[in-house]
Amino acid sequence: MARRDVDRHDERAAFVLHAWPYKETSLIVEAFAEIDGRVAMVARGAKRPRSELHGVLQAFQPVSLSWSGAGELKTLIRAEWRGGMPLPGGSALLCGFYLNELVLKLLPREDPHPRLYAAYRDALAGLAGGAAQAPVLRRFEVALLAELGYAMQLSVDADTGAPLDPDARYHYAFDRGARRRAPSPGVRWPEVRGATLIALASGRFDDASTAAEAKRLMRDVIDHHLESRTIQSRKVVRDLQTLEEDSIE
Amino acid sequence: MAGRAAEARGGAGGEPLGSLDALVKALRVLPGVGPRAAQRMALHLLQHDRDGARALAGALERAVEAVHHCERCNTFTEGAVCALCRSGRRDAALLCVVETPADLMMVENTQAYSGLYYVLMGRLSPLEGIGPREIRLDRLLKRALDGDVREVILATNFTHEGEATAHYVGELLAARGLKVSRLARGVPVGGELEYVDSGTLAQALRERRPIAA
Repeated sequence: MARRDVDRHDERAAFVLHAWPYKETSLIVEAFAEIDGRVAMVARGAKRPRSELHGVLQAFQPVSLSWSGAGELKTLIRAEWRGGMPLPGGSALLCGFYLNELVLKLLPREDPHPRLYAAYRDALAGLAGGAAQAPVLRRFEVALLAELGYAMQLSVDADTGAPLDPDARYHYAFDRGARRRAPSPGVRWPEVRGATLIALASGRFDDASTAAEAKRLMRDVIDHHLESRTIQSRKVVRDLQTLEEDSIE
Repeated sequence: MAGRAAEARGGAGGEPLGSLDALVKALRVLPGVGPRAAQRMALHLLQHDRDGARALAGALERAVEAVHHCERCNTFTEGAVCALCRSGRRDAALLCVVETPADLMMVENTQAYSGLYYVLMGRLSPLEGIGPREIRLDRLLKRALDGDVREVILATNFTHEGEATAHYVGELLAARGLKVSRLARGVPVGGELEYVDSGTLAQALRERRPIAA
Protein backbone atom coordinates (compact mmCIF):
# COMPACT_ATOMS: atom_id res chain seq x y z
CA MET A 1 0.00 0.00 0.00
CA ALA A 2 1.23 3.47 -0.78
CA ARG A 3 2.56 5.36 2.22
CA ARG A 4 0.18 8.27 1.74
CA ASP A 5 -2.82 5.97 2.13
CA VAL A 6 -1.62 4.71 5.49
CA ASP A 7 -1.04 8.22 6.83
CA ARG A 8 -4.31 9.67 5.67
CA HIS A 9 -7.33 9.82 7.96
CA ASP A 10 -10.66 10.87 6.51
CA GLU A 11 -13.65 12.45 8.21
CA ARG A 12 -12.92 11.43 11.76
CA ALA A 13 -15.37 12.52 14.46
CA ALA A 14 -13.48 14.77 16.86
CA PHE A 15 -13.48 17.70 19.27
CA VAL A 16 -10.93 20.50 19.18
CA LEU A 17 -9.25 20.76 22.59
CA HIS A 18 -7.20 23.88 21.96
CA ALA A 19 -5.57 25.79 19.13
CA TRP A 20 -2.33 27.74 19.29
CA PRO A 21 -1.26 30.37 16.75
CA TYR A 22 1.44 29.05 14.43
CA LYS A 23 3.41 31.32 12.12
CA GLU A 24 1.58 34.24 10.57
CA THR A 25 -1.65 32.66 9.38
CA SER A 26 -1.81 29.10 10.73
CA LEU A 27 -2.90 27.28 13.85
CA ILE A 28 -1.68 24.18 15.63
CA VAL A 29 -4.81 22.31 16.60
CA GLU A 30 -4.90 19.74 19.39
CA ALA A 31 -7.89 17.50 18.75
CA PHE A 32 -9.45 14.52 20.50
CA ALA A 33 -10.69 12.11 17.83
CA GLU A 34 -13.07 9.27 18.52
CA ILE A 35 -11.02 6.55 16.84
CA ASP A 36 -7.51 7.98 16.92
CA GLY A 37 -7.26 9.64 20.34
CA ARG A 38 -5.37 12.88 20.83
CA VAL A 39 -3.87 14.22 17.59
CA ALA A 40 -1.99 17.45 16.84
CA MET A 41 -2.17 19.04 13.39
CA VAL A 42 -1.29 22.20 11.53
CA ALA A 43 -4.29 24.06 10.09
CA ARG A 44 -2.75 26.14 7.31
CA GLY A 45 -4.32 29.53 6.72
CA ALA A 46 -6.79 29.06 9.57
CA LYS A 47 -5.96 32.50 10.98
CA ARG A 48 -6.60 34.35 7.71
CA PRO A 49 -9.43 36.89 8.14
CA ARG A 50 -11.84 35.14 5.79
CA SER A 51 -10.90 31.55 6.59
CA GLU A 52 -13.90 29.23 6.77
CA LEU A 53 -12.10 27.36 9.54
CA HIS A 54 -12.74 30.12 12.14
CA GLY A 55 -16.14 28.82 13.15
CA VAL A 56 -15.23 25.16 12.75
CA LEU A 57 -12.00 24.88 14.75
CA GLN A 58 -13.63 25.92 18.02
CA ALA A 59 -13.69 23.74 21.11
CA PHE A 60 -16.77 22.03 22.61
CA GLN A 61 -18.57 21.28 19.35
CA PRO A 62 -18.44 18.03 17.34
CA VAL A 63 -16.44 18.38 14.14
CA SER A 64 -15.22 16.05 11.46
CA LEU A 65 -11.51 16.28 10.64
CA SER A 66 -9.43 14.86 7.81
CA TRP A 67 -5.66 14.88 8.11
CA SER A 68 -2.50 13.28 6.80
CA GLY A 69 1.09 12.92 7.89
CA ALA A 70 3.34 10.33 9.49
CA GLY A 71 5.07 12.49 12.11
CA GLU A 72 3.77 13.70 15.42
CA LEU A 73 2.40 16.88 13.84
CA LYS A 74 -0.16 16.11 11.10
CA THR A 75 -1.53 18.39 8.41
CA LEU A 76 -5.21 19.22 8.50
CA ILE A 77 -6.81 18.66 5.10
CA ARG A 78 -10.43 19.43 5.82
CA ALA A 79 -12.60 20.36 8.81
CA GLU A 80 -16.37 20.32 8.89
CA TRP A 81 -18.87 21.39 11.49
CA ARG A 82 -21.06 18.55 12.73
CA GLY A 83 -22.87 20.43 15.44
CA GLY A 84 -26.15 19.35 16.89
CA MET A 85 -24.91 20.00 20.43
CA PRO A 86 -25.59 23.16 22.45
CA LEU A 87 -22.44 24.94 23.60
CA PRO A 88 -21.64 25.33 27.31
CA GLY A 89 -22.00 28.92 28.44
CA GLY A 90 -21.12 30.97 31.50
CA SER A 91 -19.38 29.11 34.31
CA ALA A 92 -19.87 25.79 32.47
CA LEU A 93 -17.34 27.11 29.94
CA LEU A 94 -14.68 27.14 32.65
CA CYS A 95 -15.50 23.48 33.43
CA GLY A 96 -15.11 22.74 29.71
CA PHE A 97 -11.65 24.35 29.66
CA TYR A 98 -10.74 22.19 32.66
CA LEU A 99 -11.85 18.98 30.89
CA ASN A 100 -9.79 19.96 27.85
CA GLU A 101 -6.72 20.66 29.94
CA LEU A 102 -7.03 17.26 31.66
CA VAL A 103 -7.21 15.47 28.31
CA LEU A 104 -4.33 17.55 26.90
CA LYS A 105 -2.04 16.92 29.86
CA LEU A 106 -2.89 13.32 30.73
CA LEU A 107 -3.74 11.55 27.48
CA PRO A 108 -0.69 10.48 25.44
CA ARG A 109 -0.82 11.34 21.72
CA GLU A 110 -2.32 8.88 19.23
CA ASP A 111 -3.55 6.41 21.77
CA PRO A 112 -7.12 5.39 20.84
CA HIS A 113 -9.69 5.85 23.61
CA PRO A 114 -13.20 5.60 22.13
CA ARG A 115 -14.79 4.99 25.55
CA LEU A 116 -13.17 8.09 26.99
CA TYR A 117 -14.34 10.02 23.92
CA ALA A 118 -17.91 8.97 24.73
CA ALA A 119 -17.42 10.02 28.38
CA TYR A 120 -16.04 13.38 27.18
CA ARG A 121 -19.01 13.93 24.87
CA ASP A 122 -21.43 13.04 27.67
CA ALA A 123 -19.66 15.41 30.08
CA LEU A 124 -19.87 18.28 27.57
CA ALA A 125 -23.54 17.58 26.89
CA GLY A 126 -24.17 17.61 30.66
CA LEU A 127 -22.36 20.93 31.09
CA ALA A 128 -24.14 22.52 28.12
CA GLY A 129 -27.48 21.20 29.32
CA GLY A 130 -27.11 22.88 32.70
CA ALA A 131 -26.45 19.73 34.79
CA ALA A 132 -24.84 20.19 38.22
CA GLN A 133 -21.19 20.75 37.31
CA ALA A 134 -19.27 19.00 40.11
CA PRO A 135 -20.69 15.48 39.55
CA VAL A 136 -20.06 15.80 35.78
CA LEU A 137 -16.42 16.71 36.45
CA ARG A 138 -15.89 13.94 39.04
CA ARG A 139 -17.39 11.27 36.75
CA PHE A 140 -15.12 12.37 33.91
CA GLU A 141 -12.03 12.41 36.16
CA VAL A 142 -12.76 8.83 37.34
CA ALA A 143 -13.37 7.66 33.74
CA LEU A 144 -10.17 9.37 32.52
CA LEU A 145 -7.97 7.73 35.16
CA ALA A 146 -9.55 4.31 34.49
CA GLU A 147 -8.92 4.67 30.73
CA LEU A 148 -5.31 5.64 31.34
CA GLY A 149 -4.73 2.48 33.38
CA TYR A 150 -4.79 4.28 36.76
CA ALA A 151 -8.26 3.00 37.71
CA MET A 152 -9.13 3.94 41.28
CA GLN A 153 -10.07 1.24 43.75
CA LEU A 154 -13.41 2.55 45.02
CA SER A 155 -15.23 -0.47 46.39
CA VAL A 156 -12.99 -2.48 48.71
CA ASP A 157 -10.30 -2.04 51.35
CA ALA A 158 -7.00 -2.50 49.50
CA ASP A 159 -5.49 -4.59 52.33
CA THR A 160 -8.35 -6.83 53.43
CA GLY A 161 -10.59 -6.93 50.34
CA ALA A 162 -13.58 -6.16 52.59
CA PRO A 163 -16.24 -3.78 51.21
CA LEU A 164 -15.62 -0.14 52.16
CA ASP A 165 -17.34 1.03 55.34
CA PRO A 166 -19.08 4.35 54.56
CA ASP A 167 -18.48 5.64 58.11
CA ALA A 168 -14.81 4.65 58.36
CA ARG A 169 -11.89 6.94 57.50
CA TYR A 170 -9.30 5.66 55.04
CA HIS A 171 -5.95 6.76 53.70
CA TYR A 172 -5.96 6.72 49.92
CA ALA A 173 -2.70 5.19 48.66
CA PHE A 174 -2.34 6.39 45.07
CA ASP A 175 -1.07 3.10 43.65
CA ARG A 176 -3.15 0.69 45.79
CA GLY A 177 -6.39 2.24 46.99
CA ALA A 178 -8.06 2.79 50.36
CA ARG A 179 -6.22 1.52 53.43
CA ARG A 180 -6.97 1.77 57.13
CA ARG A 181 -3.37 2.14 58.21
CA ALA A 182 -1.51 5.41 58.04
CA PRO A 183 1.35 5.76 55.55
CA SER A 184 4.95 5.58 56.70
CA PRO A 185 6.51 8.90 57.67
CA GLY A 186 7.27 11.15 54.68
CA VAL A 187 4.57 9.60 52.50
CA ARG A 188 1.36 11.58 52.03
CA TRP A 189 -1.88 9.74 51.32
CA PRO A 190 -5.03 11.86 51.38
CA GLU A 191 -7.53 11.01 54.10
CA VAL A 192 -11.06 10.26 52.97
CA ARG A 193 -14.32 8.82 54.29
CA GLY A 194 -15.57 5.51 52.92
CA ALA A 195 -18.81 7.25 51.90
CA THR A 196 -16.88 9.62 49.60
CA LEU A 197 -15.15 6.73 47.79
CA ILE A 198 -18.50 4.96 47.37
CA ALA A 199 -20.01 8.20 45.99
CA LEU A 200 -17.13 8.50 43.49
CA ALA A 201 -17.79 4.93 42.32
CA SER A 202 -21.47 5.67 41.70
CA GLY A 203 -20.99 9.24 40.41
CA ARG A 204 -23.68 10.50 42.79
CA PHE A 205 -22.95 12.96 45.58
CA ASP A 206 -25.76 13.40 48.04
CA ASP A 207 -24.39 16.09 50.31
CA ALA A 208 -22.05 19.06 50.08
CA SER A 209 -19.36 17.65 52.38
CA THR A 210 -19.08 14.44 50.30
CA ALA A 211 -18.86 16.50 47.11
CA ALA A 212 -16.18 18.75 48.62
CA GLU A 213 -14.15 15.79 49.88
CA ALA A 214 -14.45 14.05 46.51
CA LYS A 215 -13.15 17.18 44.78
CA ARG A 216 -10.13 17.38 47.12
CA LEU A 217 -9.31 13.68 46.73
CA MET A 218 -9.53 13.82 42.92
CA ARG A 219 -7.29 16.89 42.86
CA ASP A 220 -4.65 15.01 44.89
CA VAL A 221 -4.92 11.87 42.75
CA ILE A 222 -4.70 13.83 39.49
CA ASP A 223 -1.77 15.88 40.78
CA HIS A 224 -0.02 12.62 41.67
CA HIS A 225 -0.36 11.40 38.06
CA LEU A 226 0.60 14.78 36.59
CA GLU A 227 3.85 14.60 38.56
CA SER A 228 5.30 18.10 38.53
CA ARG A 229 2.95 19.64 35.94
CA THR A 230 0.02 21.79 37.04
CA ILE A 231 -3.53 22.31 35.83
CA GLN A 232 -3.62 26.00 34.97
CA SER A 233 -7.40 26.34 34.65
CA ARG A 234 -7.73 25.51 38.37
CA LYS A 235 -5.70 28.58 39.28
CA VAL A 236 -7.81 30.76 36.96
CA VAL A 237 -11.03 29.49 38.60
CA ARG A 238 -9.56 30.19 42.05
CA ASP A 239 -8.55 33.74 41.09
CA LEU A 240 -12.01 34.41 39.64
CA GLN A 241 -13.66 33.21 42.85
CA THR A 242 -11.42 35.49 44.91
CA LEU A 243 -12.32 38.44 42.70
CA GLU A 244 -16.03 37.67 43.01
CA GLU A 245 -15.83 37.44 46.79
CA ASP A 246 -13.81 40.67 47.01
CA SER A 247 -16.26 42.57 44.87
CA ILE A 248 -19.30 41.47 46.85
CA GLU A 249 -17.79 42.59 50.18
CA MET B 1 21.22 26.67 14.79
CA ALA B 2 20.74 30.11 13.29
CA GLY B 3 23.64 31.29 15.39
CA ARG B 4 25.97 28.70 14.00
CA ALA B 5 24.77 29.31 10.44
CA ALA B 6 25.33 33.04 10.83
CA GLU B 7 28.78 32.49 12.25
CA ALA B 8 29.72 30.15 9.46
CA ARG B 9 28.60 32.60 6.81
CA GLY B 10 29.43 35.86 8.58
CA GLY B 11 33.22 35.96 8.57
CA ALA B 12 35.12 34.98 5.45
CA GLY B 13 37.66 33.18 7.57
CA GLY B 14 35.00 31.58 9.79
CA GLU B 15 35.40 34.43 12.27
CA PRO B 16 32.53 34.45 14.80
CA LEU B 17 30.46 37.66 14.59
CA GLY B 18 28.94 38.25 18.00
CA SER B 19 26.91 41.34 17.02
CA LEU B 20 25.34 39.67 13.99
CA ASP B 21 24.41 36.68 16.12
CA ALA B 22 22.85 38.95 18.73
CA LEU B 23 20.85 40.78 16.03
CA VAL B 24 19.48 37.52 14.59
CA LYS B 25 18.50 36.43 18.08
CA ALA B 26 16.84 39.79 18.83
CA LEU B 27 14.76 39.72 15.62
CA ARG B 28 13.26 36.41 16.66
CA VAL B 29 11.14 38.16 19.30
CA LEU B 30 8.83 39.19 16.42
CA PRO B 31 5.77 36.97 15.92
CA GLY B 32 6.14 34.52 13.05
CA VAL B 33 9.88 35.13 12.67
CA GLY B 34 11.89 31.93 12.85
CA PRO B 35 15.66 31.45 12.64
CA ARG B 36 15.83 31.62 8.82
CA ALA B 37 13.67 34.73 8.46
CA ALA B 38 15.62 36.45 11.26
CA GLN B 39 18.90 35.73 9.53
CA ARG B 40 17.57 37.03 6.20
CA MET B 41 16.38 40.26 7.84
CA ALA B 42 19.66 40.81 9.65
CA LEU B 43 21.78 40.25 6.54
CA HIS B 44 19.50 42.50 4.48
CA LEU B 45 19.72 45.37 6.96
CA LEU B 46 23.49 45.16 7.24
CA GLN B 47 24.18 44.67 3.55
CA HIS B 48 21.56 46.83 1.80
CA ASP B 49 19.95 49.24 4.21
CA ARG B 50 22.10 50.54 7.03
CA ASP B 51 20.14 53.82 7.17
CA GLY B 52 16.91 51.85 7.48
CA ALA B 53 18.48 49.81 10.25
CA ARG B 54 19.42 52.99 12.18
CA ALA B 55 15.90 54.41 11.68
CA LEU B 56 14.39 51.14 12.92
CA ALA B 57 16.62 51.08 15.98
CA GLY B 58 15.73 54.71 16.80
CA ALA B 59 12.00 54.23 16.28
CA LEU B 60 11.99 51.15 18.51
CA GLU B 61 13.93 52.94 21.20
CA ARG B 62 11.59 55.97 21.17
CA ALA B 63 8.39 53.90 21.07
CA VAL B 64 9.45 51.70 23.97
CA GLU B 65 10.21 54.82 26.02
CA ALA B 66 7.14 56.86 25.06
CA VAL B 67 4.24 54.44 24.61
CA HIS B 68 2.42 53.12 27.64
CA HIS B 69 -1.10 52.30 28.79
CA CYS B 70 -3.81 54.95 29.17
CA GLU B 71 -4.75 55.41 32.83
CA ARG B 72 -8.44 55.39 31.93
CA CYS B 73 -8.93 52.86 29.12
CA ASN B 74 -5.67 50.88 29.17
CA THR B 75 -5.03 51.30 25.41
CA PHE B 76 -1.67 52.50 24.09
CA THR B 77 -0.99 56.20 24.42
CA GLU B 78 1.95 58.60 24.78
CA GLY B 79 0.36 60.78 27.44
CA ALA B 80 -1.12 59.72 30.77
CA VAL B 81 -4.65 59.67 29.26
CA CYS B 82 -5.38 58.96 25.57
CA ALA B 83 -7.07 61.44 23.20
CA LEU B 84 -10.32 59.46 23.10
CA CYS B 85 -10.67 59.43 26.89
CA ARG B 86 -9.81 63.18 27.03
CA SER B 87 -12.40 64.10 24.39
CA GLY B 88 -15.36 65.90 25.88
CA ARG B 89 -17.67 64.75 23.09
CA ARG B 90 -18.00 61.12 24.16
CA ASP B 91 -20.81 59.74 26.29
CA ALA B 92 -19.23 58.90 29.67
CA ALA B 93 -22.25 56.77 30.65
CA LEU B 94 -21.32 54.08 28.09
CA LEU B 95 -18.26 51.86 28.40
CA CYS B 96 -17.38 49.32 25.69
CA VAL B 97 -14.99 46.51 26.72
CA VAL B 98 -12.77 45.10 23.95
CA GLU B 99 -9.82 42.70 23.89
CA THR B 100 -7.28 44.70 21.84
CA PRO B 101 -6.57 48.18 20.42
CA ALA B 102 -7.34 46.71 16.97
CA ASP B 103 -10.83 45.79 18.21
CA LEU B 104 -11.28 49.34 19.52
CA MET B 105 -10.45 50.71 16.05
CA MET B 106 -12.96 48.34 14.45
CA VAL B 107 -15.74 49.56 16.76
CA GLU B 108 -14.71 53.18 16.07
CA ASN B 109 -14.90 52.53 12.32
CA THR B 110 -18.58 51.67 12.66
CA GLN B 111 -19.29 55.32 13.64
CA ALA B 112 -22.20 53.80 15.54
CA TYR B 113 -20.77 54.21 19.02
CA SER B 114 -20.33 57.42 20.98
CA GLY B 115 -19.24 56.11 24.39
CA LEU B 116 -15.84 55.35 25.91
CA TYR B 117 -13.75 52.16 25.89
CA TYR B 118 -11.78 49.84 28.08
CA VAL B 119 -9.12 47.70 26.38
CA LEU B 120 -8.34 44.48 28.25
CA MET B 121 -5.13 43.79 26.28
CA GLY B 122 -6.02 40.10 26.38
CA ARG B 123 -8.75 37.73 27.49
CA LEU B 124 -9.19 34.96 30.02
CA SER B 125 -7.50 31.83 28.68
CA PRO B 126 -7.54 29.11 31.33
CA LEU B 127 -5.51 26.65 29.27
CA GLU B 128 -2.72 29.18 28.96
CA GLY B 129 -2.93 30.14 32.62
CA ILE B 130 -4.24 33.62 31.79
CA GLY B 131 -6.69 34.57 34.52
CA PRO B 132 -8.17 37.74 36.03
CA ARG B 133 -4.86 38.61 37.67
CA GLU B 134 -2.95 38.45 34.38
CA ILE B 135 -5.35 40.74 32.51
CA ARG B 136 -5.85 42.98 35.57
CA LEU B 137 -9.64 42.69 35.76
CA ASP B 138 -9.52 44.69 39.02
CA ARG B 139 -8.52 47.78 36.98
CA LEU B 140 -11.54 47.35 34.69
CA LEU B 141 -13.83 47.05 37.71
CA LYS B 142 -12.41 50.25 39.17
CA ARG B 143 -12.86 52.06 35.85
CA ALA B 144 -16.44 50.82 35.32
CA LEU B 145 -17.45 51.76 38.86
CA ASP B 146 -16.30 55.38 38.61
CA GLY B 147 -19.87 56.64 39.07
CA ASP B 148 -20.34 58.00 35.53
CA VAL B 149 -20.71 54.67 33.71
CA ARG B 150 -24.33 53.45 33.45
CA GLU B 151 -24.00 50.68 30.88
CA VAL B 152 -21.11 48.37 30.01
CA ILE B 153 -21.11 46.81 26.54
CA LEU B 154 -19.08 43.60 26.38
CA ALA B 155 -17.47 43.40 22.95
CA THR B 156 -14.92 40.65 23.55
CA ASN B 157 -14.48 38.09 20.77
CA PHE B 158 -16.99 35.32 20.13
CA THR B 159 -14.42 32.64 20.88
CA HIS B 160 -14.84 30.51 23.98
CA GLU B 161 -12.14 32.58 25.69
CA GLY B 162 -13.90 35.83 24.78
CA GLU B 163 -17.24 34.41 25.92
CA ALA B 164 -15.82 33.30 29.27
CA THR B 165 -14.30 36.77 29.72
CA ALA B 166 -17.63 38.45 28.90
CA HIS B 167 -19.46 36.13 31.29
CA TYR B 168 -17.24 36.86 34.28
CA VAL B 169 -16.88 40.59 33.67
CA GLY B 170 -20.67 40.76 33.21
CA GLU B 171 -21.36 38.93 36.48
CA LEU B 172 -18.93 41.09 38.43
CA LEU B 173 -20.41 44.34 37.12
CA ALA B 174 -24.05 43.29 37.27
CA ALA B 175 -23.51 42.38 40.95
CA ARG B 176 -22.57 46.03 41.47
CA GLY B 177 -25.80 47.27 39.90
CA LEU B 178 -24.48 48.24 36.45
CA LYS B 179 -26.47 47.54 33.30
CA VAL B 180 -24.44 45.06 31.24
CA SER B 181 -25.01 44.09 27.61
CA ARG B 182 -23.26 41.76 25.19
CA LEU B 183 -22.67 42.42 21.50
CA ALA B 184 -25.30 40.57 19.44
CA ARG B 185 -24.21 37.84 17.07
CA GLY B 186 -25.76 36.08 14.12
CA VAL B 187 -26.13 36.28 10.37
CA PRO B 188 -23.94 39.08 8.93
CA VAL B 189 -25.40 42.15 7.23
CA GLY B 190 -26.22 41.25 3.64
CA GLY B 191 -25.79 37.58 4.56
CA GLU B 192 -27.67 34.98 2.59
CA LEU B 193 -28.52 31.89 4.59
CA GLU B 194 -27.26 29.67 1.78
CA TYR B 195 -23.71 30.92 2.39
CA VAL B 196 -23.67 31.31 6.19
CA ASP B 197 -21.64 28.71 8.08
CA SER B 198 -23.64 26.17 10.09
CA GLY B 199 -22.19 27.13 13.49
CA THR B 200 -23.27 30.76 13.06
CA LEU B 201 -26.69 29.78 11.79
CA ALA B 202 -27.19 27.32 14.68
CA GLN B 203 -26.30 30.03 17.20
CA ALA B 204 -28.56 32.56 15.43
CA LEU B 205 -31.45 30.10 15.78
CA ARG B 206 -30.77 29.57 19.47
CA GLU B 207 -30.50 33.32 20.08
CA ARG B 208 -33.47 34.28 17.87
CA ARG B 209 -35.49 37.25 19.09
CA PRO B 210 -39.22 37.92 19.05
CA ILE B 211 -40.52 40.60 16.70
CA ALA B 212 -42.65 43.15 18.50
CA ALA B 213 -46.13 43.52 17.02
